[in-house]
Amino acid sequence: MQTSTVTDAMRPPFPAEPGAGVYSNKLGMWVFLASDVMFFTALIGSYIVLRFGMASQWAQPGAVLNVPLTGLNTFLLICSSVSMVKAYAAIADGKKYFLRKVPGKRLQDGGLKFWLLITIICGAGFVSVQLVEYIKLVGEGFTPSGYREGSLLAEHALADPVKYGAGVAGMYGSTFFTMTGFHGFHVTCGVISMLYLYFTKVLPEKYSPQDYRGIEVIGLYWHFVDLVWIILFTIVYLI
Amino acid sequence: MTTPAPTTHVRPNYMLIWLYLFVMTIAEVLLAFELPVARNLKLILLLILAIWKAMLVALFFMHLKFERWRLRLIFLVPLPLAAILVTTVIMEKVF
Amino acid sequence: MTTVAHAPTRAHHEPMSFWRKYIFSTDHKIIGIQFLFVSLFFLLVGGLLAMQIRWQLGFPGKPLPGGGILPESMVSGGVILPEYYIQLVTMHGTFMVFFAIMPLLVGVYANFLIPLKLGGHDMAFPRINMWSFWLAFLAGLIMLSGFFVPDGAPRCGWTMYAPCSARPDLSGATYSQKLWSISIVVLGLSSVMGSVNYITTVINHRAPGMTWFRMPLSVWALFITAILAVLALPVLQGAAIMLLFDQTIGTHFFDPGAGGQALLWQHLFWFFGHPEVYILILPAMGMVSDIIANGSRKPIFGYHSMVFAIIGIAFLGWIVWGHHMFMSGMNPTLGSTFMVSTLLIAVPSAIKVFNWLGTMWRGNLRFHVPMLNAIGFVSMFTIGGLSGIFMAATPVDIPLHDTQFIVAHIHYVLFGGSLFALFAAITYWYPKMFGRMMSERIGKVHFWLTFVFYNLTFFPMHIIGMGGQMRRIYDPTIYDFLKPQQPLNEFISYSAFALFAVQFLFAFNFLWSLKFGKKAPQNPWEDNGLEWSLPNPAPHGNWAPKTPNVYRGPYEFSAPEGGDKDYLPQYTKLPTDRDPVPAPLPAGGH
Repeated sequence: MQTSTVTDAMRPPFPAEPGAGVYSNKLGMWVFLASDVMFFTALIGSYIVLRFGMASQWAQPGAVLNVPLTGLNTFLLICSSVSMVKAYAAIADGKKYFLRKVPGKRLQDGGLKFWLLITIICGAGFVSVQLVEYIKLVGEGFTPSGYREGSLLAEHALADPVKYGAGVAGMYGSTFFTMTGFHGFHVTCGVISMLYLYFTKVLPEKYSPQDYRGIEVIGLYWHFVDLVWIILFTIVYLI
Repeated sequence: MTTPAPTTHVRPNYMLIWLYLFVMTIAEVLLAFELPVARNLKLILLLILAIWKAMLVALFFMHLKFERWRLRLIFLVPLPLAAILVTTVIMEKVF
Repeated sequence: MTTVAHAPTRAHHEPMSFWRKYIFSTDHKIIGIQFLFVSLFFLLVGGLLAMQIRWQLGFPGKPLPGGGILPESMVSGGVILPEYYIQLVTMHGTFMVFFAIMPLLVGVYANFLIPLKLGGHDMAFPRINMWSFWLAFLAGLIMLSGFFVPDGAPRCGWTMYAPCSARPDLSGATYSQKLWSISIVVLGLSSVMGSVNYITTVINHRAPGMTWFRMPLSVWALFITAILAVLALPVLQGAAIMLLFDQTIGTHFFDPGAGGQALLWQHLFWFFGHPEVYILILPAMGMVSDIIANGSRKPIFGYHSMVFAIIGIAFLGWIVWGHHMFMSGMNPTLGSTFMVSTLLIAVPSAIKVFNWLGTMWRGNLRFHVPMLNAIGFVSMFTIGGLSGIFMAATPVDIPLHDTQFIVAHIHYVLFGGSLFALFAAITYWYPKMFGRMMSERIGKVHFWLTFVFYNLTFFPMHIIGMGGQMRRIYDPTIYDFLKPQQPLNEFISYSAFALFAVQFLFAFNFLWSLKFGKKAPQNPWEDNGLEWSLPNPAPHGNWAPKTPNVYRGPYEFSAPEGGDKDYLPQYTKLPTDRDPVPAPLPAGGH
């Protein structure tokens, strides 16, 4: 049997048929993201279907939820997405450092360590703001099963049932907390993963322009999470 | 390990995309709350804005614009499935 | 043809402890074998549950033999209680579908065969593979615990329809319903992780020369199955989470009283559920194709159409789910659409059946045990498929829905189909897994007895179903119109007991041959696959550090170039063959 010898056992597919044309970690992450789309389809699709059946009774946008705060939070997540892609560009250019003075430029040039840190901070910030928002909402009486008896929101709903969608508050609460909760869970997983990579791979400068697969892969996940939020923000908070 | 193939595409201006996203988000919030637009039209415009923003992230930040079709296909495949599920269940509910 | 000369150990790490080597292994073959043992255990559990169901249906009101050991909540004076009966029915379905057949077909054979048949050293992501197994194991434990918590196991049928499943006051099971949801979410995670692995490995880790259309059909089927799994399981996970939230934190997704929709559960469940049944049959079809080609000493008839049929079945499988819901009160126009798509999906399946027949036609047939089971698969799956045509037509489904006719259909495709294929596959790849052969004699006796008792058990179910006996019913004799069918019920039960007893032959054969089976030659079935170029059992790292070259397709049986042999393996280099050129290594980033 004729065989070919492997030169680099760490990099499958070590002599292989042409496949996707991208390395396996990236391919795997894209396939995983496709599955995550189906997961959010179940949640978001159910929301669309449920709300469609009772569209006229749904609470008006801004009545219960804090749109300005969430708008700011959305901006924070978008910023983290930008810093993520800047981190990716940095390591592609070989900039493993934190900050470096560049002649001719006023601002210092950020490297991988800088931009990834920004991403982690913005991501953690997003989760924190969302947690604070949840605590505030539950305090006001907005729970997964609707407006809590005797709470502030229940009183508002009695006074103005149309604006607060009194009849279908149960569905409002169910869909809101499930969708945003699982999105927040995805963000948290992303932040934890980035922290792990930061301490085990980024700080010891293990990534190089020849091999920065981990950054690209976590970047794809992070942008996906941002993408889902862009959709969620519109259809949950603004409509 | 041989040196990787050089990039064949121009790197997009990430800060410009960020600006677009920022402006579109402001536009969305204004549209939703301030502008006097009919409800159905508002819904459609907001959805278009959201999808446009999502596509900017997918195409530029996730580099899909510069990847092969095969990779884009992986991300595109679930979308018609999602559409079929939602459409069918709505048709069913309407009945 | 040269034989392969290898050093005994090619793994390039230092010797591993027992724990790292066999328990927390990242070797795809060990993981496949782990899945095999655990899934066979769950198959036994499912079978034991079935025996109790058959006892109750055949002899309603009679005390269950050995029922004394069960607690008072399940049996009263030895007689199965209705509350326990519905748990039996629910858990039989749940264990068989999620923890026996699916892991046996996918967890075992996708893991075991894909790298071996494609010339790889291991899966694309070996550690994720290990996690995939342990998560599936955890999910199985969680599901099993349902029997041991207060109020017993879940009770709304394996399809867990809302609102029964969402409200403990309706189902009566306070804890285990939640455990069901949690178990499903964990299993879904395991499945998705595994599928990402299989898809990536098939796309990127094929040896030089292994082009897409030189892949064996078993790998094609497993690849397409993985695509189905990666897209369908997350929908079930989402639905199970919504169900769990309804059960715990007070959401109202499926509660009509508060504005939810009970039918939403059915749509979500069957949107997953229909691709799921194709997940349960496609790998079986793929492996049967390999075995039938081998047993006929002929190339598979219509290889390309087989591939396109697999793709067609997978594609159409997404738009037929409503045929499980014809009786739900859904929109009739939609019902007609689903009827048409369901009838259409019979076409690619039929193409496959004809191609298997075409493969066997005028072949130099070898009736080894895998071939017998594979032919059994073809005939039984055909019957199951034909009953499927009945149910695809909405008017016919209306009287048949939720009767034993449906139960007969399910079992013809799942037992007559998938399980026979599994008997074939387990026997066929046993030498590769364990280095020994299973006993041919016991295997043949097992096949024939199983085949006879299986048909005696499940064929009459078509009849009693058409006679009106419902599914999941505790005691058919309470209905006067069902009383005349009770002798048939008894007959089915006796056949079922015999069927179950015969499976101990297989279990004995499997376990005994581990130690005392004949030592396997390198290529016992004279097959063409890449895996047979390795010694038995296959060593850690497979061909590492080398990679085999592939020179031809997988079904070159009775080829003139083979000389005096009637098979020509994919890895054999003939003087006229040129070495395939590997693709350049992919870059580490842009």
